[in-house]
Amino acid sequence: MSAQGEQLTDFERRSRLVLEESLLRIDGRVRSRLNQARQAAVEAASAKRRPMFGRFFTLVPTAAAAAAALLVAMVLWHRAPDGEPPVLVADTHLGDLDLVADGEGLDLVQDGDGSGSFYEWAADQSEANGNETDT
Amino acid sequence: MSEFATLASPYSMPVESHGDVELSDSSTNARSRALNQFLAGVELKAFKIAQAALRHEEDALDAVQDAMLQLARAYADRPAEEWKPLFYRILENRIRDMQRRRTVRGRVIAWLPFRGDDDDDEPDPIALAPSADPSPVRKLELDEAMGALEKALEELPRRQQQVFLLRTLEGLDVAETAIAMGCSEGSVKTHYFRALQALREQLGESYV
Repeated sequence: MSAQGEQLTDFERRSRLVLEESLLRIDGRVRSRLNQARQAAVEAASAKRRPMFGRFFTLVPTAAAAAAALLVAMVLWHRAPDGEPPVLVADTHLGDLDLVADGEGLDLVQDGDGSGSFYEWAADQSEANGNETDT
Repeated sequence: MSEFATLASPYSMPVESHGDVELSDSSTNARSRALNQFLAGVELKAFKIAQAALRHEEDALDAVQDAMLQLARAYADRPAEEWKPLFYRILENRIRDMQRRRTVRGRVIAWLPFRGDDDDDEPDPIALAPSADPSPVRKLELDEAMGALEKALEELPRRQQQVFLLRTLEGLDVAETAIAMGCSEGSVKTHYFRALQALREQLGESYV
């Protein structure tokens, strides 16, 4: 309930009339200054609201990029094997695998005629050479 | 209350027919229009209240400008119905700050050996220019009444002056005036009663 709707005495009514009249006498310079101040205030309120939209539109691509990076990281993590790193596995076991898979290599380990392997022969040869150099 | 009805009207537009971005834009524009309309409705009265308290045109303009900016920055998103008491609360704080500063400045200047002449009390010829008045006799009566009322208001204690202007000129009710003044409704009633009593004594019942 505004005071304007309340029961006013004659004195209050007259006072209001005089005060309202005094508002009409406010000069143009003051009115102009007040108008400028009002425009500045309205602009300030609009500017305060605008960055909200600006921030929203800046955040969307950033959030999308971050989500994509997270997705890629998760996919890579799930595809990686458990246990030893792949490089170490290759160093320790892949050599044996090659040896087993290589038919020629097996021939070198065990000769077909049963006279011993190439490696045994090579070891005997190196021992014999060693003995000669010692003497 | 009727002016609040006109302020509230921009928000009652149908929202279903708008897309998200359009809705945001139209809502922002409606809010700006409402704020502009509100400030246009109070600026002259606010200036008058600030001028009565500060007795200085430039200071009064500064106070109103600051109050407008602060309302726009801090409370523009609040419901329009809350703007008026908030605005006058901000204005009152601003006026009080200025009065305190002026008191301190006055004390400092009082110690100085030479004081500059205050030429701010010159009457503005534009302010005295006639407006669309009914008649010269009536205008003269109003001029005299205005002068007498302004003089009587100057002599009132600050709180009584403030409550009288907020209630009589701005038309705030007791609750709104209490918010604007930062005091209880009981204090508002007491200050208002005393203000009316003092003004009646000074001006007489039929001063217009």
